[in-house]
Amino acid sequence: MEAYSVALWIIGLALEATLILRAKQRGFLWRFPLFYSYMAYVFAGSALTFLISWVRPHHYATCFWFYFLALLLAEFAVIMEISDHIFEPFPAIRRLGRFITIVVSATLLLLYVLPSLLQPRSSSVALLDFALRASLTKGLIIAALLAAAFYYRLSLSKNVAGLMLGFALYLSVYVASLAAAGTFGKALYANVLRFMNPLAYALCLVVWTITMWQFEPVLLTSPKPGEPAEETSEALSYRLERFNTALTKLLRK
Amino acid sequence: MAILAYAIIAVLLILVVALLARQTPREEPAEALAEKEFVQGLWDGRCLNLSERIFDSADYHWLRDELGFPQLADSLVRSRQRVAIRWLKALRTSFDELVRTPEPLLADSRSNAAPGSWNLLWLTLRFHFLLGYALLVVRLFGPYHRLIPSWSWLRFIPEFNSRGSHLGPVDIANFR
Repeated sequence: MEAYSVALWIIGLALEATLILRAKQRGFLWRFPLFYSYMAYVFAGSALTFLISWVRPHHYATCFWFYFLALLLAEFAVIMEISDHIFEPFPAIRRLGRFITIVVSATLLLLYVLPSLLQPRSSSVALLDFALRASLTKGLIIAALLAAAFYYRLSLSKNVAGLMLGFALYLSVYVASLAAAGTFGKALYANVLRFMNPLAYALCLVVWTITMWQFEPVLLTSPKPGEPAEETSEALSYRLERFNTALTKLLRK
Repeated sequence: MAILAYAIIAVLLILVVALLARQTPREEPAEALAEKEFVQGLWDGRCLNLSERIFDSADYHWLRDELGFPQLADSLVRSRQRVAIRWLKALRTSFDELVRTPEPLLADSRSNAAPGSWNLLWLTLRFHFLLGYALLVVRLFGPYHRLIPSWSWLRFIPEFNSRGSHLGPVDIANFR
């Protein structure tokens, strides 16, 4: 099991380095600045915790949890960046991704995450539960973003679709394995489940490496005859206002 | 029990994301095309005249009270309810099409911090909220029900009543 764990660690580091170097080489690091900053953090954090696990094994748990909690929070920022890419070309809903991310995060934080954090229990159980609930929150944000894109019939670029699929893959495994750890206790986690999460993250990195191999912006189809042509924000704002006015007058009638 | 719920959520999450993330742009359904024709002329007032007619109860009262055909009047209400729902859905289709309009600037020069983008989102969300509410009221109570609840009981509060008297009637006919 130890060799398996080390192999996954090395594969993960190699994939993270590949992702960053490829983007740097092709010059599209700046297209996803938060994602590549996150990748750099994961690479540095993984390498450091890997070293600590060999050199100072008794400090490993503390270092890992610090690294892991910062990672959990950084992923919210990355999801927000992905959401911007989905809605960016459409001025009327450009901020919809951020809105969904903020609303879902705030709602689940208040109703689902905070009540669990306030319960008196051991720190390890509380940390695992926080990780579970944060992962589920991110999963739901991704599902909500995709549902909004589906509703508006928006095309996703290969990069964005891959990032979301990768996140969903590893978040799903995290949710299931952390819930199992909470239910069946530490023994099961130590023997089986602790290997599931690195494996899921490695799979996620494989998906990201394939889909982020080159930058592929979404191709916007030109409007068909009779459809509204591209228009400025001011003209769009005016037309949205008119729709609202028409409906408001109808409601007040 | 909680583990089962989390496992189901995890599986559903993967399935939903895998299905939605690999979507290709969907073709516009035939229903949406028909709805678009329904609201043609929205900006020249023809569509609003149609909406006034749909939501006006004069025909219903004329049939029921003046001609004395209550059953026919009820049938008219049901028919108008269907048309009202269709009109509201058509308005939504037309609105969604406008929302999907891309910006004319090149992708590279597109600024995420463009002034008013939150305002545009507010207009979009507000429209969806109002439309959802209107659809709910029309489905539950029919097209002739007041879409905004009556505040007549507020006449017992003198201050509110005097403030309300400054508001004139809405002139929907002159909406251009």
